[in-house]
Amino acid sequence: MKSTFKVNNIILFVIIAALAIFPFVSDSRTWTILLTQIFIFSILAMSYDILLGYTGIVSFGHAMFFGMGAYATAIMLDRFEPTIGIFVLSIAVGMCIAGIISFLVGLLTLRLKSHFFAMLTMAVSGLFLVLAEKWRSLTFGNDGFTFRAPEFFKDRMMYYLLVLGCLVIVYFCLRRFVDSPLGRVLIAVRENEQRTKSLGYQTLHYKVIASVVAGVIASLAGSLYAVSLRFVNTSVLTMDITLDALLMTIIGGVGTLIGPIIGAGVIELAQHYLSGLAKEHPIFERWIIFFGIVYILAVIFFPRGIVGTFRYLFWKKKNPIKIANVPKRKGLAK
Amino acid sequence: MELLINLLINGLATGMLIFLLAAGLTLIFGLMDVLNFAHGGLFAWGAFSGVWLYGVTDSFTLAIIGAILTGVILGFITEKLIITPVYGNHVQQILITLGFMIVLSEMLKVVFGPNQLAAKTPPLLAGSWEIGDVIIIKYRLFIIIIGFIVFGIFQFILKRTKIGLIVRAGVMNKEMVQALGINIKQVFLYVFMTGAGLAALSGILMAPYSGVIYAEMGMEFAILAFIVVVIGGMGSFPGSLLAAILVGLAGSFMAYYVPALSLAVNMMLMAIVLIFRPQGLFTAKG
Repeated sequence: MKSTFKVNNIILFVIIAALAIFPFVSDSRTWTILLTQIFIFSILAMSYDILLGYTGIVSFGHAMFFGMGAYATAIMLDRFEPTIGIFVLSIAVGMCIAGIISFLVGLLTLRLKSHFFAMLTMAVSGLFLVLAEKWRSLTFGNDGFTFRAPEFFKDRMMYYLLVLGCLVIVYFCLRRFVDSPLGRVLIAVRENEQRTKSLGYQTLHYKVIASVVAGVIASLAGSLYAVSLRFVNTSVLTMDITLDALLMTIIGGVGTLIGPIIGAGVIELAQHYLSGLAKEHPIFERWIIFFGIVYILAVIFFPRGIVGTFRYLFWKKKNPIKIANVPKRKGLAK
Repeated sequence: MELLINLLINGLATGMLIFLLAAGLTLIFGLMDVLNFAHGGLFAWGAFSGVWLYGVTDSFTLAIIGAILTGVILGFITEKLIITPVYGNHVQQILITLGFMIVLSEMLKVVFGPNQLAAKTPPLLAGSWEIGDVIIIKYRLFIIIIGFIVFGIFQFILKRTKIGLIVRAGVMNKEMVQALGINIKQVFLYVFMTGAGLAALSGILMAPYSGVIYAEMGMEFAILAFIVVVIGGMGSFPGSLLAAILVGLAGSFMAYYVPALSLAVNMMLMAIVLIFRPQGLFTAKG
């Protein structure tokens, strides 16, 4: 076990190093931008994985935290000077707001059953979308506004490295988080909430902690997203963002952390190429249809996702006898 | 006074449309614990297919029948393809029905084009009556009447027929009904198809009411229907009617007096109900 862990870590560091060197080797602007986008959505999808994959709760309101981060950064950079200091401060402000809101919303809604929770988060997130559309003096509504990014990030490459750094830090922090005793309790909640409760854990508290962590990380992703576009409008708060996170997590593999990163890569790349195919045949303009179908098939036949399936096959090969003990639908089982 | 009556009629008409959507949802949930996030997609398909049929045949009756048929067929496909494989697993149900919702609304854009479509009011129902100072728009009254007729028919079926008895018993305790030798899954399929038909009916009635139809309207309306189901109590048919009227009236009065709060009021209603009475205002009783 120890040796595979080491091999995994070495592979991981090689990949990170390769990605860090990438912009110095290639000067393709498209790729730098596309990869930046992938990293940002990886952070978002990982935060969603904490909820869906580790705690086993389905939230349809994740976009609101993403949007909070995006608006906090955009508004502060627009109203004050576009400096690094303000940028860092705005990320912190976004995270605080997201943390407080996710705490309050979690406290109110997490005691409900999964259906109600999903609906209520959808409703609350809808509320924030309406708020952003109506509060035009602050957000400029659906038209959005452009703002100046700090000088330092004018260079796409610097920004690429910053986002990559954030992704690596977030990945290791979350890895540490899910491997901690607290993370283990979250997994216990996912596997069997009743039993966790009867072991004396106040599961509501743990679920609230998970939702706060997920909200704060999603807000970071939102801040990075806003600066990468230098533009923000209400689309950051729409259901589409939640759906993207959901698709990436499911397709990559729930409850794996590395899965959502791979899912983000697959979906962003596919989106890039499929929408490029729109010239060939108009059906590719509706590329999201393919994702919907792939997603439905994944939920039915492939509930472990890409990473989960590989891990399962690997595990099966190593432990051929104990097959009877395999949890059937790990991650999504309830 | 005439303002009050107008707001009342507006609210009732909207409430009836939401009721038609929520009625199916609440029975589907009550019977099988399935929350169908794709319900809004069935609603939008009803609206688009109905408007298209109305354009082709020029008969609103045919459009309504066509829309309901579309809904029922889609309901059959949804139940067989989407709900059955993940039966009993809540998280997967939520995820998969939401995925199907995306497919349904994107398919709409592929079939009918991505733009909004205009929907005409049939000439017989266009215009309004003036009684004293009060102007009553005919079409809104028509929606209200249809809503009450549907409620009456379903209440009759639920209370007076064998299948209604099975459905009511299934909502209360499905294991017991199964133990008595009734194939509850078969019953559920029929209930699902009926619910889908009602959603489609709501869609086609909605089209001339709002004037334009677009693919995203499914989701917008479905959220209102979810709120109604929560407020009314999952599985309660009369509860969903009352809650729908409540939401409709709250929406129309708020839109006039405090427009900024018109959407928030429903969410607040739902939050209050969920916190203080999580089972809803009405519980499903025989």
